[in-house]
Amino acid sequence: MPETTDFLYPFIEGDETDADELLEDLARSAEGKWRQSARLREETLARTADQLRETAAAMAERFRAGGRLFTFGNGGSATDAEAVAHLYTQPPSGRPLPARSLAEDQAVMTALGNDVGFDLVFSRQLIAHGRGHDVAMGFSTSGNSENLMRAFAEARKQGMLTVGLSGYDGGRMAAEGTPVQQCLVARSDSVHRIQESQAALNHALWAAVQEELAPTH
Amino acid sequence: MASDVSLTVPRGVGAADGSDGDDVAGVADALARCSLALARRFSAGATMWCASPTWPFHAHHVAVEFVHPVIVGKRALPAVTVPPAADLVATLRASVVPGDIVLVLADAGDPRVIDALRRGAAWGVETVWIGAGSTRPDPGAANHVIWLDTDAPLHASERFVRIYHLLWELTHVCFEHPGLLKPEPDCTDEICITCSDEGRPAEVVSVDGDEALVRTPDGEETIDVSLIDAPAPGDLVLVHAGFAITGSVG
Repeated sequence: MPETTDFLYPFIEGDETDADELLEDLARSAEGKWRQSARLREETLARTADQLRETAAAMAERFRAGGRLFTFGNGGSATDAEAVAHLYTQPPSGRPLPARSLAEDQAVMTALGNDVGFDLVFSRQLIAHGRGHDVAMGFSTSGNSENLMRAFAEARKQGMLTVGLSGYDGGRMAAEGTPVQQCLVARSDSVHRIQESQAALNHALWAAVQEELAPTH
Repeated sequence: MASDVSLTVPRGVGAADGSDGDDVAGVADALARCSLALARRFSAGATMWCASPTWPFHAHHVAVEFVHPVIVGKRALPAVTVPPAADLVATLRASVVPGDIVLVLADAGDPRVIDALRRGAAWGVETVWIGAGSTRPDPGAANHVIWLDTDAPLHASERFVRIYHLLWELTHVCFEHPGLLKPEPDCTDEICITCSDEGRPAEVVSVDGDEALVRTPDGEETIDVSLIDAPAPGDLVLVHAGFAITGSVG
């Protein structure tokens, strides 16, 4: 902290004692960000509505043919991959569908990371498990993760359907020549707000897949 | 053609004001208080133990958020996920030390979580319960309850992500206020309800006749259990002046 701006931070010396003002600021900040997240969610779902339907129809076709869903991502996005696999296999309603997160098995992840490098941790698993009628779904906030791009390329090579969830402007996952056939983008520059809207996209896509597969459809 | 996804996924009641139909002010207040408590605990050296027996991915997400911040330069904080297949109480009992934090994401009726959090006072940990549903945890079930009243699982799941992201963001704001993170001053009053030995929670470690070794936030001690029905290891008791005065607390 430059000394010249110390006067702007009266409590910088650590002698602040009344927490009420801070608690009030924190609560207002949380409210503002909550509403910001809710607006991005609405905007994202509205903008991608047609793409969601198209993606769901293509996924349903794969599931009907006996295809399975493989999900993957890094860090918080790995937990999104896990959440999506959980949702498809153990849905709150509708039909359970075969899905698995490629980031969940620590023996496989560390074996591949150690032996062939982290860029290949997902693509190598698709080489082992993938079939042409499966679906590969990857999660990234930047859209640039090398191990995702490698996995999408491998999936396309096998004829799998590739679905990506990205943020910012979509990154490499949405760029010219991408192996991602359907890239759903939450347009924000905050990693947190992107992940929050991606959660909504995941749920909307799952619901649309369920509708496609419903007996009355 | 598929019907509009908005028919199956709630598109947010109250979208116009950005509330999404949630009690934003209530959640925001709970988040603010919880964040300051977490920042104080982390400043004093706490580890945060995260668990979600039903939704392990949420617990993993919380832990990675704190350990590996998305914003470069923010400090990495010790947060750990309790593996979902592990016995929650047994793992926490072996792992936590006084001053730690236990954060759970769970329904109000989850017996594993209820059994773990009711031991929080005996273990000396700060407890945080994030969840959703028209049934709330019993009063006092955790130090901090951050709750959504929705019974729609997907609506809740999305809001959980928002809640723990904001918890991380606000906790780091608190670190910019070092004066507010100092430990509470020790009680120096001669008679103090907080410090007096009126009835302190303790967890039984082992029993030997009328004596039992118990765990309290201040360490282990031997107490007399002749006034209560013979307790078993793992039971919670209230200790007063070296005697267990109530068995099977909680």
